[in-house]
Amino acid sequence: MDYYHTPSTVDEALTIAGKLSGNYTFFAGGTDIQNYRKQQLDTNEYVIDLSEIEELDSITIVDGALHLGAMTTLDKIVSSDEIQNHYPIIAEAAKTVATPVLRKTATIGGNLLVTNRCTFYNQSQEWRDGVGSCLRDVGDICQVTGGKNDCYSRNVSDTATALIVLGAEITLMTPNGIIQKSLKDIYLPCGIKFHDLEERCILTQISVPIEPKKWWYKKLRLRKTLDFTSLTVAATIDTAGIARVCLNGVSMSPILIEKPLKELTLEGLISIARKNCKTVDNDLMPLKYRREMINVYLKEWWKSFR
Amino acid sequence: MGLKQIELTVNDFSHPFLVESDETLLFTLRNRLYLTGTKEGCNQGTCGSCTVLLDGKPVLSCMTPTLRCVEKKVITIEGISSGENLHPVQKYLVKNGGLQCGFCTPGVVMTAVPFLEENPDASRREIKEGLSGNLCRCTGYKKIIDALENAAAEMRS
Repeated sequence: MDYYHTPSTVDEALTIAGKLSGNYTFFAGGTDIQNYRKQQLDTNEYVIDLSEIEELDSITIVDGALHLGAMTTLDKIVSSDEIQNHYPIIAEAAKTVATPVLRKTATIGGNLLVTNRCTFYNQSQEWRDGVGSCLRDVGDICQVTGGKNDCYSRNVSDTATALIVLGAEITLMTPNGIIQKSLKDIYLPCGIKFHDLEERCILTQISVPIEPKKWWYKKLRLRKTLDFTSLTVAATIDTAGIARVCLNGVSMSPILIEKPLKELTLEGLISIARKNCKTVDNDLMPLKYRREMINVYLKEWWKSFR
Repeated sequence: MGLKQIELTVNDFSHPFLVESDETLLFTLRNRLYLTGTKEGCNQGTCGSCTVLLDGKPVLSCMTPTLRCVEKKVITIEGISSGENLHPVQKYLVKNGGLQCGFCTPGVVMTAVPFLEENPDASRREIKEGLSGNLCRCTGYKKIIDALENAAAEMRS
């Protein structure tokens, strides 16, 4: 059996996956997962490279809804006139991911399913062995909290933050058929099993129904390029006056707060956000600073539409 | 995993060879073809030193599986000039002193060439943004950006 597979259709990819007994990794762009393989964090024997599946590379607007093929590169999304005109928050979010060169390879599907990160996990094998490893790896305690039960690795998908506030739905192909679900439902508040997905499935499409009235997006990171998020906040207010605020990079899954604007106060919003974000000291930026920046960003958003 | 026989087109020459199934394009270029102009910096997609063109698109060769490049055209820094004539990007990097130790330079050239071809009227700010994935520890970037502005002007004319 070949180690590296390049199927040209989703069905072919699922068929190959079926023969490999779970011992495989799907590559979309591969720009992040390649590091996991180099660091021995992904030790599956086989690779199924989805980059040759042309049917998953598309941007279309049908009946006022945007449909993105999961293998559309972030660069195409950033430079798409349709997205810039109708869904600028998606273009803005995609533009904050990695660097211009990486965005030519990295895909929207790969970014939505990016693996959770932690400063004690995303390290070389030697580094991890040196500190005694962690709960998510082969150790028995969380190196951040000292706890034995919970892992607090962070979800760092920037595009997920923007797409969740837009109410995006996703389409998954499985051997048993097509599954459609809300994007926010695939994220689990757990640092080890962070995606609620079937064992053998491929994300094929992202559909965005809402064209928001007002939007806001901001990402906190050490450098203005390349770095994964330390805190991302995306917010929209739709035509019915419903505010949707999503925070990411500060908890195991994106945190969505959805309320009618007239029922919302800034203090209430900050309180809900701080209560729901399980922020721990697992990023390059200090914990206290990141927590404080939640308040700063929410205040900034609040002022932006007042 | 084991070895696999492939044919790879690099700088318009086709090369048959055996590669490890999980090796990266960077390893293949440097260790099998001895094209050492492509540099290994961070080896984790952070520094941009290993940038090459894959079917005209810049990619980080340290992140690209070699087996993904079969039936595609790879251009490295060794294939960017026309014989003795340097590409305008190379020419102005030399002229403007846009390099010191030179380690990042192949990556800068391979990022800048497709960027300027795609954005011939790029502003200074856009050039900085386009090059934001290429780290340089020597120059402080100013002279690199100067060089690329001049190269863009020559490429437009």
